[in-house]
Amino acid sequence: MSNGNDNVVVRSLAQIGACGLFLLTILAAIPRSFRHGRETVRQIWFVGAMSLTIVMTCGLFVGMVLGLQLYDVLSIFGGTSATGTVVAIAIYRELGPVVTALLFAGRAGTSVTAEIGLMRATDQLDAMEMMAVDPIAYVAAPRFLAGVIALPLLAIVFCAMGVFGGHLVGVTWLGIDNGTFWSNMTAAVDVHKDIVDGVLLKSIAFGIVVSLIAVFQGYTTPPTSEGVAYATTRTVVASSIAILALDFVLTSFLI
Amino acid sequence: MTDDAIVRIRGLTTVLNGKTIFDNLDLDIPRGKVTAIMGPSGTGKTTLLKHITGQMRGDAGSVELDGQNVPALSRERLFELRERIGYLFQNSALLTDFDVFENVAFPLRQHTRLPEELIRNIVLTKLQAVGLRGAARLMPTELSGGMARRVALARAIVFDPALILYDEPFVGLDPIALNQVLLLIRTLNQTLGITSVLVAHELAAVQKVADHVYLIANGKVVAQGAPATLATDGSPWTAQFFGGEADGPVPFQYPAGDYATALGFPGGKA
Repeated sequence: MSNGNDNVVVRSLAQIGACGLFLLTILAAIPRSFRHGRETVRQIWFVGAMSLTIVMTCGLFVGMVLGLQLYDVLSIFGGTSATGTVVAIAIYRELGPVVTALLFAGRAGTSVTAEIGLMRATDQLDAMEMMAVDPIAYVAAPRFLAGVIALPLLAIVFCAMGVFGGHLVGVTWLGIDNGTFWSNMTAAVDVHKDIVDGVLLKSIAFGIVVSLIAVFQGYTTPPTSEGVAYATTRTVVASSIAILALDFVLTSFLI
Repeated sequence: MTDDAIVRIRGLTTVLNGKTIFDNLDLDIPRGKVTAIMGPSGTGKTTLLKHITGQMRGDAGSVELDGQNVPALSRERLFELRERIGYLFQNSALLTDFDVFENVAFPLRQHTRLPEELIRNIVLTKLQAVGLRGAARLMPTELSGGMARRVALARAIVFDPALILYDEPFVGLDPIALNQVLLLIRTLNQTLGITSVLVAHELAAVQKVADHVYLIANGKVVAQGAPATLATDGSPWTAQFFGGEADGPVPFQYPAGDYATALGFPGGKA
């Protein structure tokens, strides 16, 4: 039994180590991947623009439900005018980057894993190798870069929609004064701490982690349909755990 | 076998998952000729091609391609070498995001800065050679297995490489396409002096196109010679393989325990 547990631990550590080495390989290939700039732009469109609908919709509803809950709680203390402030800070510091990264892992990460995994299973990566085209530079690096670029942009859109959702519920529905909502929010939100550190820094870190996991799982998947299915699942599971764990670590340093 | 060998394999030993694939294998591929590699399924014919291209490395021995020791080459040098090699994959391995035209154009776009018009002419010439110029704008999912194989063949020859490795080039081809592919392999060899190595099972096709045949079994070359005479050289290996016999030096059955015991009959060997 303990042997089995040891094997799981060793396998997990080996996976993390291999993933780290894979990151170094991708970083080394990024200058060569600039030759395939059109592929990177195509991937930004695929993982970024194509994720806009889900990110905007979820951002709106997260902001709305947050506005509703906070109004309910703050009304006990007569502090409903702070609804906008708390909605904004909660979204900027935590919910924006974290929920966007989780959505990104589910929407874009899985498709990247499945796509590369199928390329592996159908010998397309080997065919590139045989045509003297480096699949790390042509396939892996553009998708990795696209994720790192797209996720912070999506997080900004999510935050904007979240604040709009909070405004919709707080001001339009529940009658908080529009001027109070915005002035309290702008007075309390710190651009460096909440936007730069909260939204951008965290979502760049999440973008690196999620993109790396998605590309790594696809690239190293066993070339079978079951292998691709497991790799896709592992992308979601590993990304979700990594996002939440990394969020705690980053928050403890940034707060 | 020859002094002018483009590929020279000496003492190649490869063990995969505890199974010996090659056991001290020696083999030469003569330059400018068409060489066929034949043998029972699972004897490592495709694996041998992968050793020649550096996709796999053996546990011992050397694989020299054009005088360079392939396993010792860096990734950059290996890629330089591969720019002069065409490789036809067993399952075609077309890039599914691109149409037929772009699949064939892919190596040209990646390694040259040729004007678009020239790329177009080269690609259409190669597609005409495999009879698929009219299919240039079809996607790989719209092709039959045989058509996909011919597109992969057009892609393999798009650079007119010094060496082309064909892994099962005749599978899935109708008689007309088969004849044209045979003609194409011969023409490339005779007009451009391209060396061809083909892994195949179809003796009739091999006899039409190959100059030399190696028969591989049990990790070694068990017979070799001209295709016209090899089948009747009197060796038990060739007699079994080309005669399609179940009994002979090559076991038809994959190693297994006692059959009667496996079926649960009494009296089976323990």
